[in-house]
Amino acid sequence: MKGYLARKIIYALIILYVISSLNFVIFQVISPLDPAKAFARNPMLSVEHQEAMARLWGLDQPLSARYVKYIINMFTLNFGISFMKQTPVIEEMLPRLRNTLLLLSLSLTFNVLVGVSIGVLAASRRGTKVDAFAMSAGLFTWGAPIFYIQLLFVFFLANPSFLMLFPRGGMTTLPPPEDPITYISDLAYHMVLPLITLVVAQFGWWAMYIRNMMLDALTEDYVNTARAVGISERKVLFGHAFRATLPPFVTMVVLIIPTLLMGGILTEYIFSWPGTGQWFLYSVENGDYPAAQALLFLYAVLMVGGNFAVDLIYGFLDPRIRVGVRR
Amino acid sequence: MWEFVGEGFVKFLPSKVTRKEYVRKLKGFWEDYRRNKIGLAGIAILTMFILVALLAPWLTPYHPTQSKYLAESLAMPEWVTVLPQFSDVPPTTEILAHWNIKNGSDFVNVELGNETIIRYSGIGIQKTDIYLQSTFLYSYISPKTFKYKFEWSSFSCYQAGYSLELILVTPIEQSFSLYDSYYGLKVKKSQDVPLLRKETGSTRRVTADSWDLRLWDRLGWHRTNYPTLAGQVFNNKGEYHILLHVVFETLTSDATCEVIVKEPQIIIPGLVHGLLGTDQYGGDLFCQLVYSTQASLMIGLFAALSTTVIGLIVGVVSGYAGGAIDESFMRIADVALCIPMLPILITLAVLFGASMYLIVLLLSILWWPGIARIIRSRVLSLRETAFVVSARAVGASRSHIMLKHIIPNVLPLAFAALVLTVPSAIVTEAVISFIGITPLAVPTWGKMLHYAFHAGAFQRFAWWWIVPPGLALMILALAFVFIGHAVDEIVNPKLRRRR
Repeated sequence: MKGYLARKIIYALIILYVISSLNFVIFQVISPLDPAKAFARNPMLSVEHQEAMARLWGLDQPLSARYVKYIINMFTLNFGISFMKQTPVIEEMLPRLRNTLLLLSLSLTFNVLVGVSIGVLAASRRGTKVDAFAMSAGLFTWGAPIFYIQLLFVFFLANPSFLMLFPRGGMTTLPPPEDPITYISDLAYHMVLPLITLVVAQFGWWAMYIRNMMLDALTEDYVNTARAVGISERKVLFGHAFRATLPPFVTMVVLIIPTLLMGGILTEYIFSWPGTGQWFLYSVENGDYPAAQALLFLYAVLMVGGNFAVDLIYGFLDPRIRVGVRR
Repeated sequence: MWEFVGEGFVKFLPSKVTRKEYVRKLKGFWEDYRRNKIGLAGIAILTMFILVALLAPWLTPYHPTQSKYLAESLAMPEWVTVLPQFSDVPPTTEILAHWNIKNGSDFVNVELGNETIIRYSGIGIQKTDIYLQSTFLYSYISPKTFKYKFEWSSFSCYQAGYSLELILVTPIEQSFSLYDSYYGLKVKKSQDVPLLRKETGSTRRVTADSWDLRLWDRLGWHRTNYPTLAGQVFNNKGEYHILLHVVFETLTSDATCEVIVKEPQIIIPGLVHGLLGTDQYGGDLFCQLVYSTQASLMIGLFAALSTTVIGLIVGVVSGYAGGAIDESFMRIADVALCIPMLPILITLAVLFGASMYLIVLLLSILWWPGIARIIRSRVLSLRETAFVVSARAVGASRSHIMLKHIIPNVLPLAFAALVLTVPSAIVTEAVISFIGITPLAVPTWGKMLHYAFHAGAFQRFAWWWIVPPGLALMILALAFVFIGHAVDEIVNPKLRRRR
């Protein structure tokens, strides 16, 4: 097991290294930008900061030396100073990552809850209206662009010229309320619309996924046995059939997190949610390349980390895979 | 079972046999497909979109990049006028008024027509006024702006002076002096200054719109006092008159003068326009919607096609060849699957400028691993099947087996993958265009949504701007999902319905 873990970690690090090299190529080799301007010489920074940035990225050195510095800096989380904020990138990144993860985790939770209940219900009542609903919701989410659904919700429910039921965007009212209870309720109020739209746009996918897996599980012998023994249908559904689908389901949840994080770019953009996605767009748009580069690295870390976690979970859940890898 | 005969024999088999086989398989596929209602609906929708894309120039009279200022910005769709509360909202109106003589004069001979010729021949020192009038009906609520165009010229004015004034008279007998040949649009007319003008031969084209500050000055108004000039002028429904007041003056005894005036034109940009209204520049939204179909279909199909071709080749080669080739391809796939697609795409679009080619290229680079993996796993099982093993046994070459035996058997799978890649590509393109840091040159639905989001659809509640593009995007993507789902059910026996 230790060997397996070590191999997986090394492999993940290699992939991360390759992808960050790719980022280097994009920003400093093929990019039409002048690296000195893109990474250090910004009028918003003081001269000392500019010098420090030039030293950090080795901008006066040849490409190979710059590459080495770049890789070392990335892996030691030394991202430099953001042009727009004029503070170290990492200081800005952490609170924003927290905001992003807050929205993401809640939306994932709601999605899974709604999706699982509808999916299980659909599988247990195959061929009924519930089933048809789950299937059509699933197909719908395949094609429906999330950002469009979000736009429509904002347009009809948070629009001062029509209906202003919800705040237009942001995480709290500005300035944020001091009192913790007011703060939390304000936060919740601002989160309603992003969460609703994320669930509306995605639950169908989960419902269809769970339904299909449940249908497989429900044909198994142990389900028949459980029914024959007289265990209540509810227990058969959740205790036996659903439980059997858990391993691939958990894998799917982990695997989808990086994708959701990137999909979150648009959610944060539309709802002005102060997370990493909004910041990424903002920095790319305004030429804040140190921040953009750091965020691309962050996304790569999360993608690689997600895949690594899936491998691990698979390995723990299914010993055959571990053996297979070792061979 | 021709797969069992040796390679040498296969070469001599008439190609018709294999073709017949394909035709039979395709027919069988179609028989299966026909039973799938969702799949048929998908094909119907897709056909409709393809027709719209092909027939775009015939569906709309405008061109998306050249149609601007066709109506007021953010004009509603024209069909809202069937609703009682919008029944008198003006469409774009161009009024070409015909001149009639209101007050003539003995010294003046007027030839009415497209170009009305006013001939003056005066004797003695005198002044003559004539009035031409044209009438039009305006029966809508007041517009936001209006424009007028007026053209006149004078010839052979010998020993004579003249002046023209254009006056708009409203149904409640208010009159607005729009233009005066002596002062043009600049200043308000004052009675003390003589109205004469002696130059000849020049053609004057006068155009002005109701936002023209000189016109406001001329009427002695100030913008702070009146919200819109057009609102003041076209405040009443009824008959409006345009008066042309021409004054001739003889300077010495024998004078002639000829003034030619064209029909005046009043243009009122509509508050309703076309099937889907207008955007912030008064551009036709239906036209943009129709033309965007082309870009979306092209990007979707090309991206999906190249992704699938790469995935198919890599999957077949790495699945069949195995060993180091397989290993290296799969490691590359591992890396490609971990690349954060959307952020990279946005970054590259910003650095290099977004184009359809960039999007297609990047999507195919980033998405092939998924398809390659599916194909590879199928190839892994195929290579152990009887017909492949026998072909190998009789000495068929690797390329022959891959081309003739393996690829035909994974094609249906690749086809399902192809169809299911299209909606993702279409939506990704829309996302890039919607973020719109660097807009594509061609019109796309994502771009329409971008402008709707940023250029005022929200403030004015322009539902006709924000709802249709996304709806079209969604329906097209869903059509592919429907087709893909139906194909998947046929080619992936595992998904087949348990009856």
